[in-house]
Amino acid sequence: MTFLILSQLLNGFALGMIYALVGVGLTLILGILNIPNFAHGALYAIGAYLTYTVARLTGSFYIAILIAPLGTVLIGLVLEHQGIRRLYSAHHDYQLLFLFAMALILQELIVIIWGPVGFSVMPPKALMGATNLGFVIYPTYRLALIVFTLIIIVTLTVFLTFTNLGAILRAGIEDREMASVLGINIDKMFLLTFGLGAWLAGLAGALATPILGLTPTMGLDILPISFVIVVVAGLGSVPGAIVAGILIGIAQGLTTIWWPQAANVVIYILMGLTIIARPQGLFGTR
Amino acid sequence: MTTDRILLVLLLVFVVAAPFLFPMVTAAEMLVFALVAVATNIMVGYTGMLSFGQAMFFGSGAYASGLMLKAGLPLIVALPGAALVVMVLSMAVGFFCVRRTGLYFICLTFAFNQMFYFIAYIWTGVTGGEDGLPGIPRPEFIATPMAFYVFTAVVLLASLLVIWRILHAPLGLVFRLIRENPSRTAAVGYDVRRFRWYAFVISSTFTGLAGGVYAMLYGIVPIDQIHWLRSGDFIFMLLFGGSGNFFGPVIGAVAYIFLSDTLAVIWARWLLVLGIIFAITVLFFRGGIVGLVETVAAKLTGRRAGEAEATR
Repeated sequence: MTFLILSQLLNGFALGMIYALVGVGLTLILGILNIPNFAHGALYAIGAYLTYTVARLTGSFYIAILIAPLGTVLIGLVLEHQGIRRLYSAHHDYQLLFLFAMALILQELIVIIWGPVGFSVMPPKALMGATNLGFVIYPTYRLALIVFTLIIIVTLTVFLTFTNLGAILRAGIEDREMASVLGINIDKMFLLTFGLGAWLAGLAGALATPILGLTPTMGLDILPISFVIVVVAGLGSVPGAIVAGILIGIAQGLTTIWWPQAANVVIYILMGLTIIARPQGLFGTR
Repeated sequence: MTTDRILLVLLLVFVVAAPFLFPMVTAAEMLVFALVAVATNIMVGYTGMLSFGQAMFFGSGAYASGLMLKAGLPLIVALPGAALVVMVLSMAVGFFCVRRTGLYFICLTFAFNQMFYFIAYIWTGVTGGEDGLPGIPRPEFIATPMAFYVFTAVVLLASLLVIWRILHAPLGLVFRLIRENPSRTAAVGYDVRRFRWYAFVISSTFTGLAGGVYAMLYGIVPIDQIHWLRSGDFIFMLLFGGSGNFFGPVIGAVAYIFLSDTLAVIWARWLLVLGIIFAITVLFFRGGIVGLVETVAAKLTGRRAGEAEATR
């Protein structure tokens, strides 16, 4: 039993890292652009499918997780530049609907290009099998996933905390108008943010492929979860999104032991408890 | 004002003509979703709260009325009962949602919607889970498609009358005040959160009522009806028709059903086309169909006025 709990704890942690990546991406876009990115899940799905294709073409999973997220960045930049840019002055209704429409379009494109049937993807050879950690024997790919996403998250945090560009982005989250008064090029900042958000979504999709497999609706499934992460974290909080993502992953992992069907509901129970105790979210100030 | 009158006449004409233009079931479906869209507009268009959770109330209403009808309760109990169930649910959900505004409100309603979906999904003993809730009987007096259509039309028109009265009463004025300027509304002395909650509950209750009628339409409640994608459809119906107008959502719902039915027959990947139409609407016709017609009408009359001037 202890073994089961420990391994589910780690499973949940690995899943939570993927959630954290998706959640941080959505949080950046919500916090800086003030836009509910309903296409975030679709970008995640595109990231996963591109990974599958690039891995098949090149024979290397590593190259795939490098290239695939760049594909989603490209889509993200086009979305921002051709669509959302016209809607910044419009009401949330229209931004939301536009992105919802984009999500539908991307999802249908996935079915048209890759077909309606899902795939499963093998992790690269070096990461197959299991590793003995002493207290638990654990799939190597998931360990690598945890380590890799930790590196990404630490890098991102360092970037946001210590670099000039990061400071500009944080200023955008805090007070967009003030940032623009201080002479920051808002247009470029928005483009950059959306690109970064799309990259995180695509990367999360890429890394998830060996664990969760591929289905055309995978974007629709992750989208509500990423919004729950934002609610639990508190709107616009990057550290909050990381913590909330991991928490939700672990809660899901542990629920699977006792009541597998409820694994999806526990996310929302967690959300309910959070908004009862702290309506502004764990790290929210507003 | 005149636009409203013209649209009212159009609506009445449509309600009479629809059974001859479309299959009876489609016509009834249009009316059901017209009610949902108008109800959603109470929150979105009039109070300025974009909810992405209408499907949870639509679906709950459908399940509630379906279960009561299956249990043998008469319609006169089942339909108001379903509305009441949804009212209570929306009071609880709304209590949490209206504490936040703007983006956070959208996120909350969206997440709650998904919570309802998963509850329906795992509670198979009651909701039928993935297979939906089948075998919902229709009371004898509305057994024929025509009778059911007339019944649906009566429910729609009666609900629209009530909603019209609410929105044109002082309560509706407060809703609009909140949309225009929440802080000023609070300064005048209104408890903004409380009135937001009222709008939330009224809107959800009518949505639930529509769900209750829907359960009888096909005799089954598929689980898709409570999925958040449905909420997206409702928002689209509303904005497609025009949220700035009382009757706009009716037009949006009718156009949406017609469009999706037609497209679905032509191409299995019709959602792609629908998505493109969504995007074009949002980018270029933000007033929806009503807004578009108004703009064109204004241009035509403007040109006519110009011509008159030139000839003089």
